[in-house]
Amino acid sequence: MTSEPTAVIHDIGYRHYEGPRLGRANAVYALAVHSLRGTFGLGRPARAKIIPILLMVIMLLPAAVTIAAMAILKRPELGAEYPTYAVVMQPVIAIFMAAQSPYLVAPDLRFRVLPLYLSRPLGVIDYVIAKVAALTVALFLLLAVPLTVLFVGELLVDLPGPLHTGDYAAAMGGAVILALLLALIGIALASVTPRRGLGVASVIAFYLFTSAVAGVFYLVLSATGRDDTAAWALLINPFFLVEAVQSALFGVVASNGYPPGPGAFLILVGAGALAATGILLRYRKAASA
Amino acid sequence: MTASTCFATEGLTKRFPRVTALDALTVSAGTGVTGLVGANGAGKSTLIKILLGLAAPTAGRASVLGMDAITQGPQIRRAVGYMPEHDCLPPDMSATEFVVHMARMSGLPRTAARERAADTLRHVGLQEERYRPIGGYSTGMRQRVKLAQALVHDPKLIFLDEPTNGLDPQGRDEMLALIRRIGTEFGISVLVTSHLLGELERVCDHVIVIDGGRLLRSSAIREFTRTTQAVAIEVEDGLESLAERLGRMGEAVAVQGRLLTVQVPPDADPARTFDAVRDAVCDLDLHLVRLEQRRGRIEDVFKENTVKDPAPKEPAV
Repeated sequence: MTSEPTAVIHDIGYRHYEGPRLGRANAVYALAVHSLRGTFGLGRPARAKIIPILLMVIMLLPAAVTIAAMAILKRPELGAEYPTYAVVMQPVIAIFMAAQSPYLVAPDLRFRVLPLYLSRPLGVIDYVIAKVAALTVALFLLLAVPLTVLFVGELLVDLPGPLHTGDYAAAMGGAVILALLLALIGIALASVTPRRGLGVASVIAFYLFTSAVAGVFYLVLSATGRDDTAAWALLINPFFLVEAVQSALFGVVASNGYPPGPGAFLILVGAGALAATGILLRYRKAASA
Repeated sequence: MTASTCFATEGLTKRFPRVTALDALTVSAGTGVTGLVGANGAGKSTLIKILLGLAAPTAGRASVLGMDAITQGPQIRRAVGYMPEHDCLPPDMSATEFVVHMARMSGLPRTAARERAADTLRHVGLQEERYRPIGGYSTGMRQRVKLAQALVHDPKLIFLDEPTNGLDPQGRDEMLALIRRIGTEFGISVLVTSHLLGELERVCDHVIVIDGGRLLRSSAIREFTRTTQAVAIEVEDGLESLAERLGRMGEAVAVQGRLLTVQVPPDADPARTFDAVRDAVCDLDLHLVRLEQRRGRIEDVFKENTVKDPAPKEPAV
C-alpha cells in the first residue's frame, strides 16, 4: 500500500506584486526610521550598540544622582537643573553627534548606495530630510530621556514647593532646537567625506574648536574688562548659543550671562541655514556624480 | 509610438564640458530583453541615467513606458528597476535586510517588502547566505543582491548595467540565464548593457549597438547574428594559398594575422561554408589547427561599419 504524500513542494514561479505602492512621504519616513534605529545600534551588530548605549547611560547618571539627592535631602532647589542639563552634559552629546552623524551619511557615499536611493521615487532632498530628521530625533531623545526621567523622579519624590514643570518644558523646547542645530551641523560636516573615521574626527574637531575658541575669547575679553563682548564670544559654542536662545525664549535660568536681545536667535538661524545650504550643495554634487 | 514600446529616444544628445556622451541618438525598443552594446565610454550608462530621469539631456527627447523622462522622472522610477554597474552594497547589512529596505524605499509596505524580498532573493538564487552580512559575499553573490534590489518592487522594466562584469564563466552563464528568465517567465522587460555582443546575443530579443554616443545598429537578434556569423580558420602553413582558393570559390575571406576568417552571407547556410573550407583544406593538403564558428563580436560590427561607411565593400576576388 502506498501512502499519499502529506506535503509537496510547488514551484510557484514568479509572482507579480499587486499590492499597494505607497508614496514618497512613506519612503522618507521609512528611511528616517531605519536611520534613527541605526543611530542607537538597533538592527546593527552588537559592537555598534556599545557607544550609543554607553552614552545614553552616562546622560542618565546626573538624573539618577539628582533624584537620589532629592529623595534624601528633600531640597526644592535641586529640581531647577533642567535648563542647564544640555550645557553640563555637552561633551557627551558632542561625542554622540560625532559618532553617529558619519554613520548616517558616510557609508551611503562610500559604498555608493546613494544612486540606488535616487533610482527610486526618492529625491536627493527627500534623502537629506530623512537623514537630518533621524539625527535630530536621536539627539533629542538623548537629551529628552534623562530630562523626562528627572521630571518623573521629581513627581515621585514629591519635593516641598511647586513642581518645576515650566523649567522642564523649557528644557524640552531647548532640546528640540539643540537637536536640530547639531543634526544640521553634524550631517553637513560628516557628508563632506565618504570615510567614517574622518567624519567622526571632523565633527569632534568642530566641537573642540568651537568650545575652545569660545572659552579662550571669553576669558581674554572678560579679563580685559570687556564683559559685553565676552558674552558674545560664548555664542561661538553651539551649546551656549542654544542655551542663550532657550533662556531668551522661555525666560529660564542659564549657566552663563548671555547678550540680551535677538542677536543669539539670529546667529542660531544663520548657523542652521548655513549648515543646511552646505548639505544641499554637497548632495547636489553627489547626486550628479 | 505603440503600447509595446518600452523606451524611445529622439535626437537624444548629452554633452559634458569636454565630451559628447550621446550624439543625436534616436532609438526605440519594445518589450522583451533588449541588449545595449558598446565599448567603454560609448554612452551606455549615460543613456540609462537619462532614461531614469536622473540626468537632463542637452537636446532631444526620451520616454520610458510612455512617460517623459525629463518631466516624469519620479513616476518612471516608481515603475522601473535599476542595477548599477558599480558596487552599491553596504557591507554590514545582510542581503535580506538590504533588499527589504530597498523595497520600502520603492514604497512597499513593511510586510509586503519582507515577502517580496524573500521571493526575489530566492529567484536570484541566494540561499541561506542571505542572512549573513554582504561584506563577506563573493562577486557572484553581490551581483545577485544588486539584481534582487532592482527586482524587488516588481518593476515593469529593469535597467541592468553590465550585470556580468567581474563574473567567472559559470557565473556569467547563470546571470545570463537569469536575465533570460526575467524577460520571459517573469514578464519584465529588460534593458541590459554589455561590451560583449557575443554574450548578449544569447539572451536578447533585440540588440542596439552604440559607439561614441551614436547609433551603429538596432535590430532583432536573429538578423544580427546571421549577418555577423563567420568561420575562423587556422592552418600550419599555406594560409595565403587557402585564402586565395576560398576567394576563388566566391567566399568573403579576410586574413587577420595567423587567422583566416570567412564571412557567412546573411541568407546562406553556414554548413556550406564549412564544407567549402573542409574541401579546400583537403585539396591543398594543409594541416588544420583550428576551425571554429565565430560569434559576432562587437569589434566585427565596428569593422564592418567602418568598411561600409566610406565605400561599398568590394567583393573578394
